[in-house]
Amino acid sequence: MGKQIIVGIADMKMARQEGVLITYALGSCIGIALYDPMIKLGTLVHIMLPEQGTMADKNLYKYADTGVRETVRKMTAFGAVKNRMRAKIAGGAKMFEMKGGHDLGNIGERNALNVKKMLREQGIRLVGEDTGANYARTMSMDVSTGKVTIKTFGRPEITM
Amino acid sequence: MGIEKYEDMNALEMDVIKEVGSIGTGNAATALSQVLTRPTKMSIPDVYILGYNEAIEMIGTPEEIVAAVLMKMSGEINGIMLFVLKMDFINAVLSSVMSKKIDDYMELTELEKSALEEVGNIIISSYVNALSGLTGVTIQLSIPSIAINMLGGILSVPMAEFGYETDKLMMINGKFIVDDTVLDSNLLMMPDIRSLNHLMHKLGVD
Repeated sequence: MGKQIIVGIADMKMARQEGVLITYALGSCIGIALYDPMIKLGTLVHIMLPEQGTMADKNLYKYADTGVRETVRKMTAFGAVKNRMRAKIAGGAKMFEMKGGHDLGNIGERNALNVKKMLREQGIRLVGEDTGANYARTMSMDVSTGKVTIKTFGRPEITM
Repeated sequence: MGIEKYEDMNALEMDVIKEVGSIGTGNAATALSQVLTRPTKMSIPDVYILGYNEAIEMIGTPEEIVAAVLMKMSGEINGIMLFVLKMDFINAVLSSVMSKKIDDYMELTELEKSALEEVGNIIISSYVNALSGLTGVTIQLSIPSIAINMLGGILSVPMAEFGYETDKLMMINGKFIVDDTVLDSNLLMMPDIRSLNHLMHKLGVD
């Protein structure tokens, strides 16, 4: 298993050969695990919003578009090849069900859509997904195998 | 526009927020004592402007299960109010209102969730009344919505909602003292930036 590396909110961490990348309690945010099995290089990104828009924000990992692009760029720089890379994503929940027409913009759903769009744009295959619903998820990836585990409250653990 | 981010607020503006916090907590303690039918005291609350991870640490840990009630403000003020209830708070409510206690969040029935939702509503309304009473603005509140889940996931909702405006959360932390039990009160009060400026303008501090 190796040591645990914690990925914060609007953050990205990379590991090679061994170690477990973990990000806690993804709500409407999305965790994107990218893995190149040939060189056992893995990254986990925790994005919060669908697109950077006009924000002059230095934190690229806060947004789906810049987050995916920057992570792919970094992985490629470390020897990963796009057509070998696989993506698994989790999160994008709607934590509160608002009644009476006071809906919050469904950021979780927009996040999931945009992450998938970005993966398509980058030509990276999406091989696992656990998104939507109304609960938070803790996501981890064992970099020695690329296996992703999803933990939730009151539901069985998922591996993908 | 004077304030562009929560952390831009000066000492005077922060004092205004603290005053809203004090009055709100006082109102909430009074309302709570009626619900719990027990004398309820309060501590003077503190106001914090915190980054995401700091906010989570202030209340607990990311994977910790909590109950949270969310209400949306609209009208002259737009924004979110989110009240976090931990197990001790939940049990204080359930033991008074329904004569029962729980050990696990999974035990909560729909009826008990509605009761907690209502307590959240009462507490949030206390603060909103303080806000509108002090400033003379009219604020409409949405129907409350409750979630019982990981703290990190719950706090991601206001974070994402305001993610294009600010990296910070505004939190009013105080304590309610019911009989001899001290209960933490964690309230996120998040007017959007335009509304915050409007509030300050109304109070003549901008």
